[in-house]
Amino acid sequence: MASKPMFNIKRKVPVSLLGLILFNVVLFVGLSFLSPTFLTIRNIQSLMLRMSELSMLTLAQTLVMIGGGMDLTVGSVMALSGAIAGMLFRAGFNPATVLVCALLGGALVGFLNSFLVVHLKIQSFIATVATNTIIRSVVYLLLKGRVLSAFPKSYVSLGSSYVLGFPILFLAVIAIAVALHLLLRRTALGRSIYAAGANEQCAHISGIHVNYVKYFIFTMSGILSAIGGIMYTMRIGAIIPDAGLNSPLEVVTAVLIGGASVRGGKGSVLGSLLGILAMYVLLNGFSLLGLSSFWEVIMLGVVLIAIVGQGNKKQIVKMSRFSRRKAL
Amino acid sequence: MIPKRKLRNILQIREIPLLIFVLILSAFFAFTIEGFMTLKNFEVISRQITTVGIVSIGMTLVLVTGGIDLSVGAMLSFAINIGGLLIIRGIPIYAAYPFILLLGAILGAINGLLIVWVKVPAIIVTLGTMNIFRGAIMVITKGKYITSIPQSYSWIGTGYTPFILFVVLLICFEFALRKMQFGRNIIAIGSNEQSAIYSGVPVNKFKVIVYILSGTLSALAGIIFIGRSGFIQPQAGIGYEMSSIAAVVIGGTSIYGGSGTVIGTFLGSLLMGLILAGITMLAVNAYWQGVINGLLIILAISFDTIRQMRRR
Repeated sequence: MASKPMFNIKRKVPVSLLGLILFNVVLFVGLSFLSPTFLTIRNIQSLMLRMSELSMLTLAQTLVMIGGGMDLTVGSVMALSGAIAGMLFRAGFNPATVLVCALLGGALVGFLNSFLVVHLKIQSFIATVATNTIIRSVVYLLLKGRVLSAFPKSYVSLGSSYVLGFPILFLAVIAIAVALHLLLRRTALGRSIYAAGANEQCAHISGIHVNYVKYFIFTMSGILSAIGGIMYTMRIGAIIPDAGLNSPLEVVTAVLIGGASVRGGKGSVLGSLLGILAMYVLLNGFSLLGLSSFWEVIMLGVVLIAIVGQGNKKQIVKMSRFSRRKAL
Repeated sequence: MIPKRKLRNILQIREIPLLIFVLILSAFFAFTIEGFMTLKNFEVISRQITTVGIVSIGMTLVLVTGGIDLSVGAMLSFAINIGGLLIIRGIPIYAAYPFILLLGAILGAINGLLIVWVKVPAIIVTLGTMNIFRGAIMVITKGKYITSIPQSYSWIGTGYTPFILFVVLLICFEFALRKMQFGRNIIAIGSNEQSAIYSGVPVNKFKVIVYILSGTLSALAGIIFIGRSGFIQPQAGIGYEMSSIAAVVIGGTSIYGGSGTVIGTFLGSLLMGLILAGITMLAVNAYWQGVINGLLIILAISFDTIRQMRRR
């Protein structure tokens, strides 16, 4: 870090979880003033519903990024599990078998990713770029490039049913998120995921089976994305071969906004969910205000660079302070 | 007779196995597909690989410095869509081409400067700028195609012109990477940035240059794209980032930076082009292409990993 960072404005308030919560609140208040339809029960309910499958992908990505990797297959695994579910339903299997097979499909892809990362030592970003192209093609081959809507009525109606006004899918997301949060913060496995992500060598020397941790996070990411696929088919009642084509990038952005780092070891379930919430509220607001949704894409890019840039600068300042102290 | 040791040395060059593979594959297609080994087919394949191939040259340079550029497709599309708006307003061709190239250079400079100044990892910067550029295109063009491109723009996309251009660029950049100070510097940056700084390499300058080159080459690929298709669509260049990374990685450039050749990248894009042509002519379902490309990337990288392990 020999060259000086160009902007030397010291920012006192870090964009932490508090900032993210504040951002969401401001967004909610601002939009309910600007658009009369925003703060209606109907709109909020549909917002929760539409968020559900992408929230699952966000949880998957959070787990992987805390462990120091990146999983770009989340979108194609979502499509794959939806396609498997659709095909098995069409073939007349009972729902339990269908769900298990869809989840197994996701787990298998996750396992394959972790194999590439652990044994062939391929950087997870590149490995999942490769598996992503493969899985997406497999989805196209399975569906023959067409939309499949052979889902039973009782299955699809789950996607549009509510408990106490909350969509069931949203409640499921919350339940899984709480479980994942407890796993990450309260168990030894969770601690070792953070440790392996922060410093692999160090974690290895401290007696953590880094390879097992990697197997766990990628396989779990596959399973969580597969759940996302099941939610997708429940909500839409069909599976489109292009489902989740852009979601890996959206999801990575949400996780980074939520406080994770591309270098691993950082991030939280709550932060990531707030990140994806902010993105969806923005998108919803833009469409309610009649603005082009492409502005949302532009803003996503700006926010991504700004937030990660700021986090990095703080780290650099911290590092240079530390090295100065060491030098003295 | 070539001595055994010499033969082994030749096989140690990264490009040789790839070249052999390309030859075997062409021979296989030549025997199984009628009309594969015709001049016409060669012309089609050469044109198909050119656009992604030129983008891949820029991607090679970026990967050699240890960076990555996910915005190549978006830069291509941005440059030709904005350029296209001027073209249909009647600016002359000798002004339109430099303008498009300049746009590409500016977009590349934005990437480079953000990476150097804000110190965000290249993956994140270019992921962000990809979104920004793509969004900006849609906002500016409102998603409309630009169709009434004058005939004079098609010369660069027909016949062997794009391929000759591609080969000239290949030779220039291979020379720059191997024989010029530019090449040594970017290889030094990619293999160890800290020691490059300490040995007096202007790291930031060269990083920005590499991203500017990537942007300019993407814009050039865009110009060929206009010549080939005769219209400009906002979705131009989608997926180019992944295809070009695949071509570069198959060509033996390390994703960790510090090594790579432009000739390898050429062989990588040739291999992908051959497979695409073979699949199309064998009338196999085109969706298999993704499966094969993905497997090729994994194979190429694990090949490198195994070789490196054996060397140690």
